[in-house]
Amino acid sequence: MSKFSLLMKQLYKSKIKSKSFVLMTALYILVLSVAVFWSDIKELLMGDDKVQQIAIINDTTADLSSLFVASGNMEFVQDETDVKVLEKQLKDEELTAIVTISDQQGQLHAEIATYTPLKLNDQTALSSVLQYAGQHYAVQQLSLTPEQAAQIMTAQTIISTKNLNEAATDGKSEEEKQSGLMLSYVVGILIYFFISTFLSMITTEIASEKGSRAMELLLVSVKPGTHFKAKIAGVLLLALTQMGIIAAVFLVYARFIKDGAVWKAAGEIVQELSIGYVIYAVLFLFLTILLYLIVGALFGSLVSKVEEGGQVLMPAMIITIIGFYVMLTGLGNPDTLLIKVFSYIPFTSGMVMPMRIGATDIGVIEPLLSLGVLVATIVVCYVFSLSFYKRSVLTYSTGGVIQKIKTVLKVTT
Amino acid sequence: MTLQLQHVTKKYKDFTAVDDLNFTIDRGEIFGLIGQNGAGKTTTFRMILDLQETTAGTITWDGQPVNAINRDVLGYLPEERGIFPTMKVEDQLYFFGELRGMKKAELKKEIDFWIQRFELEEKRKDKAETLSKGNQQKVQLIASFIHKPKFLILDEPFSGLDPVNKDLLKDAILLLKEQGTTILFSSHQMDNVEELCDHLCLLKRGVSLFSGSLLDLKKQYGKTRLAVRTEWSTTQLLALDGVKDVRVEKEQTVLLLEDERFAQTIFEQLSNGRYIEKFSLDYLSLDEIFKDKVGGQHVEV
Repeated sequence: MSKFSLLMKQLYKSKIKSKSFVLMTALYILVLSVAVFWSDIKELLMGDDKVQQIAIINDTTADLSSLFVASGNMEFVQDETDVKVLEKQLKDEELTAIVTISDQQGQLHAEIATYTPLKLNDQTALSSVLQYAGQHYAVQQLSLTPEQAAQIMTAQTIISTKNLNEAATDGKSEEEKQSGLMLSYVVGILIYFFISTFLSMITTEIASEKGSRAMELLLVSVKPGTHFKAKIAGVLLLALTQMGIIAAVFLVYARFIKDGAVWKAAGEIVQELSIGYVIYAVLFLFLTILLYLIVGALFGSLVSKVEEGGQVLMPAMIITIIGFYVMLTGLGNPDTLLIKVFSYIPFTSGMVMPMRIGATDIGVIEPLLSLGVLVATIVVCYVFSLSFYKRSVLTYSTGGVIQKIKTVLKVTT
Repeated sequence: MTLQLQHVTKKYKDFTAVDDLNFTIDRGEIFGLIGQNGAGKTTTFRMILDLQETTAGTITWDGQPVNAINRDVLGYLPEERGIFPTMKVEDQLYFFGELRGMKKAELKKEIDFWIQRFELEEKRKDKAETLSKGNQQKVQLIASFIHKPKFLILDEPFSGLDPVNKDLLKDAILLLKEQGTTILFSSHQMDNVEELCDHLCLLKRGVSLFSGSLLDLKKQYGKTRLAVRTEWSTTQLLALDGVKDVRVEKEQTVLLLEDERFAQTIFEQLSNGRYIEKFSLDYLSLDEIFKDKVGGQHVEV
C-alpha cells in the first residue's frame, strides 16, 4: 500500500469510529426521519388539540349558516340562540367563544365574546371565516342571483407568462421557483453543516498530530505534500461516507415508507427543476467542501497544538455564517444584488448560487462563471497551501494567526 | 555506506543556526552530536532528514544527496516525544512500520521481539496516552527503528528514562549497531556518549568545536585529571607545581594538571615514600572536556 493510502486509511479508520462522526451522522438521520415522517409526528404532537366549539348568533336577516362549516379543529354551533344558555356554556368551558353577527350599515359586524381569550391560531382561523362571511353578506345585499354571487366569490385571475425575448429560455413559473427555493435552502443548509463539521475535523486532525509531535515521525517517512493530500482525501472520503449513509437512508425511506410517496415527491421536484440544477447543486456542494478542506488543512498546519485550533478556525467559520445568512435573505427575495454578489464569491457561492439557479431566471453563463471562479480558487489555494504547508507544518510558534504566519516566513526563508 | 556533511550551513534571517559543519559517519558506527540547547543539533538532524533545507553545503548518503534517497532507509526519534495518543501501542508500531514499506508479516516478528525486549508486553493493547512517559518513549523509540533503517537518528534518546530503561536502550543501540545500523545521536548526558560513541562532534552555537574520534579528543587534553585521597588541604595542593585547579569531591579530591608529566613529582610529594590510598591519573571525562570547550558553568544538563 502506498504511503498516501496508508495515511488516508489511518485517518479514515480512526475518524469513522469517533463519537463525533457517529453522533453527527445519527443526528442527520434523525432530522431526515423527522422530515419524512413529519405529517405523522405532527398528528401525534398536535392531534390531541380539543375541538373548539364556537356558537354563532345571527342577528341579520341573511342566511349565512352554510358558511360556517366545521373546519380544522373548529366546530360551529348555530341552533342555540338563547344568549343566557350560551354564556353559561361558555363559563363551563363547553364553548370557546360566542360570535354575534349583526348588520351595521350594510356591513357585517361580528362580536366575539370569550371567557378565556382565544389562542392566536384560532383567532386567525375565525377571522378569516368571518371575513369570508362578510364578503358573502355584502354580495347578498346587492340582490344578485345565486349564480352571479357565486361567480363573484369564486373569481380568480388566470396568469400565464410569455417571454418575448427569443434568445432567452422561458422564465420559470412560480411553482418552479418555489420548489427551487426550498431545495436550495436544503442544499445550503447541507453545505453549511458539512463545512462546519469537516473543516474543524481536518484542522484539529492536523493540529493534534502537530501538537502530539507525531508529525515529525510522519514527515520523516512521508513528504509533507503527500501528508497534506492524504489528509484532504481522507476527510473528503469521510464526508462522502456520511453523505452516502444519509442518501441510503433517504432512499430506503423513499422506496418503502408510505408506498413510495416520498420518492414520487422527490422525483417531481427534480423534474420541475431539471437535471441541470441537480448537477450544479452536487458540484457546488463538493467543490465548496474541497475548498474549505484545503483551507482547513493549512490552518491546522499553522497552529502548534489542538487548543489553538479554534483561534484559526474562527475567520473561516464567520465566512460560512455570512454565506448562510445571505442565503437565508434569499428565501424572502432571491433576486437582490446581495445574493448576486455573494453567488460569485468562492467561499459562499456554494450556498448562494444553487438558490439563484433554482429560484431565479438566470442565464447559462452566470452559474458557469461562478463555478469557474470556484474551481480557479481551489487550484490557487491548493498550490499555495501545498507550498506553505511544507514550511508551516514543522514550525512551532506562539501568538495570533498573523504572528504565526510571520514566524513561518521568518524561519523558513 | 557513509553519511557525509560538507560545509553545511543553515542561516535564518537574523541568525545562523549551523555554520560550516563538516563530518563523516562511517557504516555501522555510532556517532554522537553534543552541544548545549540551541547549539544546532536538531537543526542539523532536520537537514539530514530533509525536513529543512540547507542554506549552503551538501549532505550525502552513499554519495547521493539526502533529498534524493529513499527515505525508508532513515529512522528518526525526535526530541519532542510524539505518538498518536489514542492509538493502541501495537497498532502504532504496525502503522509506522507499514508507512516505512514493511509487510505486516515481517513486522509482527519485529514488533514481538522489541515489545518483549522493552518489557511492554502488558501494554500492547493499551492506548498510548495511558502509558507512563518512559513507556511512551520506549514505544516511540521502537517506532523509529521498527523498519530496520540503515541509518538511525536519535535526538536525546536518554532524556526521561530511568537507569534500568537507560540500560535497555543502550543494549538496544549496541544490538542495532551489531546488525549494521549506522547511528547518529545527540545527548546532554556525556556518560552515555562516552560509553557508546566511536566518533563525535561538539557543537557550540552552530559552530563545530571538534569533530573526530573520542580518543583523539581526549588525547588533545592528555591525562591531566588526577584523583587522589589525601589529607593535604586545598591550598597546599594548589601550591604544587603544575596544578591548575583543585576540586574537593565526596570521597576524593580531583586535581587538574597543566600536563601529565607533572604527575610523577606530585605522586612523590603526596606519598612521600609511604602508602597512599588513592592516586589515579586519567584522561578528562567527556563532561569535563565539554564544559571546558563550551565555557564552563552555562552547560544545561
